[in-house]
Amino acid sequence: MKTGQTLLTLCLAGTIFISISAGQINADRGKQLWYAKTDGRSCTSCHGDNPANSGKHVKTRKNIKPMALSINPERYQDDKKIEKWFFRNCKWTFGRECNVQEKADILTWLSSQ
Amino acid sequence: MSLNRSMVAGSILMAGILAFSLYGIGQIWASSKNQTDPLYVEECGSCHLAYPAQLLPPRSWQIIMSQLDDHFDENAELDTESRQAIEAYLAEANQSTNGSYRKLRRNLGKQTPLRITELPYFIHEHDEIPSRLIKANDKVGSLSQCNACHKSAEQGNFDEDNIFIPGFGRWDD
Repeated sequence: MKTGQTLLTLCLAGTIFISISAGQINADRGKQLWYAKTDGRSCTSCHGDNPANSGKHVKTRKNIKPMALSINPERYQDDKKIEKWFFRNCKWTFGRECNVQEKADILTWLSSQ
Repeated sequence: MSLNRSMVAGSILMAGILAFSLYGIGQIWASSKNQTDPLYVEECGSCHLAYPAQLLPPRSWQIIMSQLDDHFDENAELDTESRQAIEAYLAEANQSTNGSYRKLRRNLGKQTPLRITELPYFIHEHDEIPSRLIKANDKVGSLSQCNACHKSAEQGNFDEDNIFIPGFGRWDD
């Protein structure tokens, strides 16, 4: 498991590094994805329009802490957690998994908020 | 002198046995009261109340855990390791079902409800509450939001003493 995680982290870091080198990470594209609607669903369905504010689970109404790193510095510290939520939430929101590029774009945008 | 010593030794022994018994009783009480497993709370409780395992029979949990990719129209998929650990927890926690939970299984027969709100006992307990206090109540919304009114739901306590319906007040059945 540890090896798997390390490999995953290395792959992610590698991909992000290559993307940065190629100048491909784009926070604006991440922002567009954040607001993109697919069959009436978007990230904002639960997280709300402004990532600096708390969100509310669309069904269970459970409070979701802000996604903006400046407001909630606890975010994005755990690779496994990041991957878990991307996996679940991309499938719910877009009906498919997000690719590395999309994840890097969204993470970069949210981290700058 | 030796009698005194015997008495002292006997008292210490008795105190030891008493303390040990109390500890044992405390442990049993704790295990039946505190159903929370950190992984269960982390994985399931991040979207909704980590419903006490005893609220559904094991056969219901088995089905729920086998279809997490479509968890009441949500994706709640887990990695295999976490899923298996939670399945084991749900099965184990269900073995310590005490009296107060057993009544939830009344009239269940061979049904395998996937929602706690489908339990005959649950329906019976909630059927007198007008929908304006639940569905039309912005602070509640649904009977599945146990903790909106059951203030100690997270501790597995659904006693009437701890019911407070937002916008209404205490509810006495």
